[in-house]
Amino acid sequence: MLTTRVWSRITACAEPGYKVTVTNPTDAELVEACLGGRRDAFDELVERHQRQVYQLCFRFAGNHEDASDLAQDVFVRAYRGLKGFKGQSSLGTWLYRIGVNVCLNKVGTKTPKPGSLDPLLAASDERIAAPDESASDALLRAERAVQVRAAIARLPKKQRSTLILRVYHELPHEEIAGILGSSVGAVKANFFHALNNLKRLMREAGTDR
Amino acid sequence: MTHLSEAEFVDLIDEALAPARAAHLDTCAACREQAAALGAMLHDTAAAETPEPSPLFWDHLQARVRTAIDVEPRPVASWWRREGFGAVVPAAAAAALLVAVLSGVVQRATQEERTPAPQLAANAAVVPDPGVDGTLDPADADVWDVLTSGSSIDDASGAGLRAQPAAIDHAVQRLSRAELTELGRLLEAELKRSSN
Repeated sequence: MLTTRVWSRITACAEPGYKVTVTNPTDAELVEACLGGRRDAFDELVERHQRQVYQLCFRFAGNHEDASDLAQDVFVRAYRGLKGFKGQSSLGTWLYRIGVNVCLNKVGTKTPKPGSLDPLLAASDERIAAPDESASDALLRAERAVQVRAAIARLPKKQRSTLILRVYHELPHEEIAGILGSSVGAVKANFFHALNNLKRLMREAGTDR
Repeated sequence: MTHLSEAEFVDLIDEALAPARAAHLDTCAACREQAAALGAMLHDTAAAETPEPSPLFWDHLQARVRTAIDVEPRPVASWWRREGFGAVVPAAAAAALLVAVLSGVVQRATQEERTPAPQLAANAAVVPDPGVDGTLDPADADVWDVLTSGSSIDDASGAGLRAQPAAIDHAVQRLSRAELTELGRLLEAELKRSSN
């Protein structure tokens, strides 16, 4: 049986006392193993994809707490729907699709919580990524990032989703089209309007440079 | 030369615009201005990176997911997937659907020839029933067209035909011995074709 064969290959290299020492099973093999009753195969899938899922959720929610809840919800829904995963797209793409739906349903057009827009908090986060930067430069950059995030939160759903997937997840237009159920032409049009609308929103907020 | 379209501006940002179209920017101030504005906004957007959570967060998230999933029923693969029939399910579905439609049409025609329903006879003058003379019910005609035209399962899906796994199980259970033999033959042929 396929499932048994796959998991045998996965666990064949496991040493006693270790979770899995794995011959690097593919996502599809882990899905099969999970459907065959191996719950720890799903743990492995979570470990592989949690960063991209969390980051997607953060982009929609704008704060860590909501992003954590959303990411958990994405994985629970993925687990429930695992038997419906046909492997026609990659598991990552499938998770993005679930993630966008969960985020759009739960976050909607809600503006991120004010606490998450605090540039001082954001500056301390972002200085980790740019340690050579002066404190004032970091603060300015963080302030700008907060303004951009607030403007993104006000974009229409499709534009927001397209922008997030394209800019922060660097997905090709074709993959975004698959995730959002649109044509490539529609994705490009949404991306174009998202950038134009961002500029307009920031100008209206007096934050356009 | 016409101004760049929305898609072409996006291609320009992606550095994927054909040189012939990109040359338009040399002579069009409006498109140059639009391209510069888009580029600047994209730069600002990309600079707003996602803050990295604490390294401990990932273990915490995994634990949360594990706890949440513990109360969920275990997902179980359908029998056809467990047995490794995933690749041939579309063909099997089409075959089962074909057999089911065929047997349904034949059965209905036979039954109606044998015992015409009283109210059907009463209504016959108003609405003639095409099933009585052995022709297809209009509701079956589209299905019949798709199935007999050598169409692929994609064409069938495009025509609105859907077969849920449970429906396939159900259809297979209702097949006669001869129909099962034929289905087995079709599956075997499809398995051979897939493995080649």
